[in-house]
Amino acid sequence: MGLVEQGRIPKPLTTLLNRARKYSLWVYQWGLACCAIEMGAAFGSPRYDVMRLGVIPFPASARQADLVVISGTVTDKMVPPIRRLYEQMPDPKYVISMGSCANCGGPYWDSYSVTKGVDQIIPVDVYVPGCPPRPEALLEGIVLLQQRIQNEDMSRRWRGEPIVVGG
Amino acid sequence: MTVATDWQKSAYIGGQAADARVHVEIEAEGMTLNIGPQHPATHGTLRIVVRLDGEQVVWAEPVCGYMHRGYEKLTEVRTYPQITTLVNRIDWLSSFANEVPFILAAEKLMDVEAPPRAQWIRTVLFEMARIANITLFLGDMGVQLGALTPVFYAFRDRELVLNLIESATGGRFHPNYDRIGGLKEDLPKGWIAETKAVMGKMRGYCDEMEELLMGNEIFQTRTRGVGVIPSAIGLSHGLSGANIRASGIDWDIRRDEESPLAWKACDWRVWTHPDGDSFARYWVRLQETREATRIVDQLLDGLPSGSIMAKVPRIIKVPAGEAWVHTENPLGEMGYYIVSKGGLGPFRCKIRSASFSNVSVLPWVLRGTYVPDVITILASLYFILGDIDR
Amino acid sequence: MSSAADASTDQIGVGIVEALEKELAGALLGSEVSGSDVWVRVDRAAWRRAVACCRDGLGFNYFTFLSGIDWKADTDLAGEKLWDPNPPGRGDQAPGEGWGTGLAGGDSRFQVMARLQRVPGSVGVTLKADLDEGEPRVDSIVELFRGADWHERETWEMYGFVFDGHPGLRHIYLPTEFEGFPLRKDFPLLAREVKPWPGLVDVEPMPGEPEGGEGPDAEAGAES
Repeated sequence: MGLVEQGRIPKPLTTLLNRARKYSLWVYQWGLACCAIEMGAAFGSPRYDVMRLGVIPFPASARQADLVVISGTVTDKMVPPIRRLYEQMPDPKYVISMGSCANCGGPYWDSYSVTKGVDQIIPVDVYVPGCPPRPEALLEGIVLLQQRIQNEDMSRRWRGEPIVVGG
Repeated sequence: MTVATDWQKSAYIGGQAADARVHVEIEAEGMTLNIGPQHPATHGTLRIVVRLDGEQVVWAEPVCGYMHRGYEKLTEVRTYPQITTLVNRIDWLSSFANEVPFILAAEKLMDVEAPPRAQWIRTVLFEMARIANITLFLGDMGVQLGALTPVFYAFRDRELVLNLIESATGGRFHPNYDRIGGLKEDLPKGWIAETKAVMGKMRGYCDEMEELLMGNEIFQTRTRGVGVIPSAIGLSHGLSGANIRASGIDWDIRRDEESPLAWKACDWRVWTHPDGDSFARYWVRLQETREATRIVDQLLDGLPSGSIMAKVPRIIKVPAGEAWVHTENPLGEMGYYIVSKGGLGPFRCKIRSASFSNVSVLPWVLRGTYVPDVITILASLYFILGDIDR
Repeated sequence: MSSAADASTDQIGVGIVEALEKELAGALLGSEVSGSDVWVRVDRAAWRRAVACCRDGLGFNYFTFLSGIDWKADTDLAGEKLWDPNPPGRGDQAPGEGWGTGLAGGDSRFQVMARLQRVPGSVGVTLKADLDEGEPRVDSIVELFRGADWHERETWEMYGFVFDGHPGLRHIYLPTEFEGFPLRKDFPLLAREVKPWPGLVDVEPMPGEPEGGEGPDAEAGAES
């Protein structure tokens, strides 16, 4: 939309669009390690149901996803696939880094084959700490991301400026 | 005269043949298909490169290492309690089961015996870790074959076991509960009664899976006769656990070896199946889960009282020596070969993980199968990436 | 505590060692028996013969693992400082005075070890062989045990041992461009060099006490 680039979207419309976007996230599950099981429990188990937040965990491929949850240890060998799959996602896209391995290397901080944090490769929006974080923690991370989306200014994002959230 | 590609030539010939209703075999190069490393069916980041001839696999090669975290090097720079924490994460679905052989090996070197109550509780938690792990397998194999429902049941019923493990140890998985000389702390009040109730529910879950999935005609057609592994090939590769028992070998480390843990104190049987196909592996694991619930029940009935921690120094230093301890983990035979030089941490700790050897049989077993059967065989061999790649 | 069961399982181990000695003649360099667990060290040239003898003559049909070990003293691991109130005598490994190796002895820095088992049952044997430090090579046992394929690839990758006769020694865990052999003792963990591990937490002084207050062994609390 040309209006977005020119920054001429009226505020109520932005709010409405953001609200629609935040409640219809499609999550691409990038389950690598133990955190993937907690992510699976959050997404698949009836107790920590993630669909009640509007998040659907079944996109058929990365090209149909808005959100990717990187859960588990990122090794150096795995970096090219992660980068490629991140680039396959269409904008606007969000990344949640789940677990201490994805945040900063975690218990393998001194290993010769572990990337110390996935934010060395792709930009991360929300970090969920824990080893592994409980499914409720991941749900809280998703809720925080939704608040962030609500406060987004689409024109700034389009122009590539950093997102200022809050206020 | 334009230059035509092979594909165009083949298509032209095929079209002419179809018009003339003549059967023609077109020689074409096989296709190389890359399954993974990110794929819903590979239990993690395993990459399998297969060369196909039509739908049949001509040659398959698993490429692992996408989850290699360097455990053996990390154990050389950590103390024993720190390694206990780290080692939980090798087979991340049944975390307690990874701690046990390591602690047993360290205790063997230190010549320390944990008190009987600790050994019995260790066995109980070990079997519960087995139940938690295999429960997910029972549902997950359904998903790999296309049946979506069992995995939701699996996650739901697994929560019951995880709740119990959490109330005793503090962590849903990665409990980090085992210590050299015993356990971290005693069981909470009311845990035993609740565990018995949950074991009854898990038996109900096994019955459900038996009816829902194993009795399903489609499941049977897709798994019977698929991925047959003869026992000699399996032993030569180092296949262990339910995989080798499904090929007819009656071998279970819990029964066959002397161990300080309490398996000999209760009455249970080892399940084998003569066929060696994917259905056999699923069947054996289902029976083993039921058997595990019975073991837990019996052990909880006779749990001895007493302390749960032997007298060990505050800072653990294991005397010099070498020890090898292996146990019947949910995935197979897992063992630790610890070489100690008397320091705070091991000098060398070789981790023998079951899935590494289980997956090494794939190049042999996948030859000649069809592509959907590849997924079935992967699902039935049941590996965890952390176990393969350590 | 020796009992009849121990004596009989010792007998099994001793029997295995005797059978191997008969087969290998002088190539058996050391052995150790403990219960039904047997450690045997053979000459490098007899490695494959020893494994074949175990498989065909003694009935060891199950391949447990194959790996290596680097006996160099770990004083070279830069940045690794585990605080230790009583450090073990590093004198058990003076350079040039033998390698202070483990069970069944050893004479060189590198050793390859393999473990086989008799299935069903509980009898196992660990075979070891000393390798040349400058050029560690040994025969491959892939034709005897198919599982050795991957284990030998991993050992090559981690230590640099070359297995003669292996169909294709290539990386299994590490990316192709990886340089170095990680499990060797002179391969440093760079993250620890940048920020060395400060030692056990017990060294932290309690708040409100003077620095270097009580020693860590003073009270047996529930710290970990």
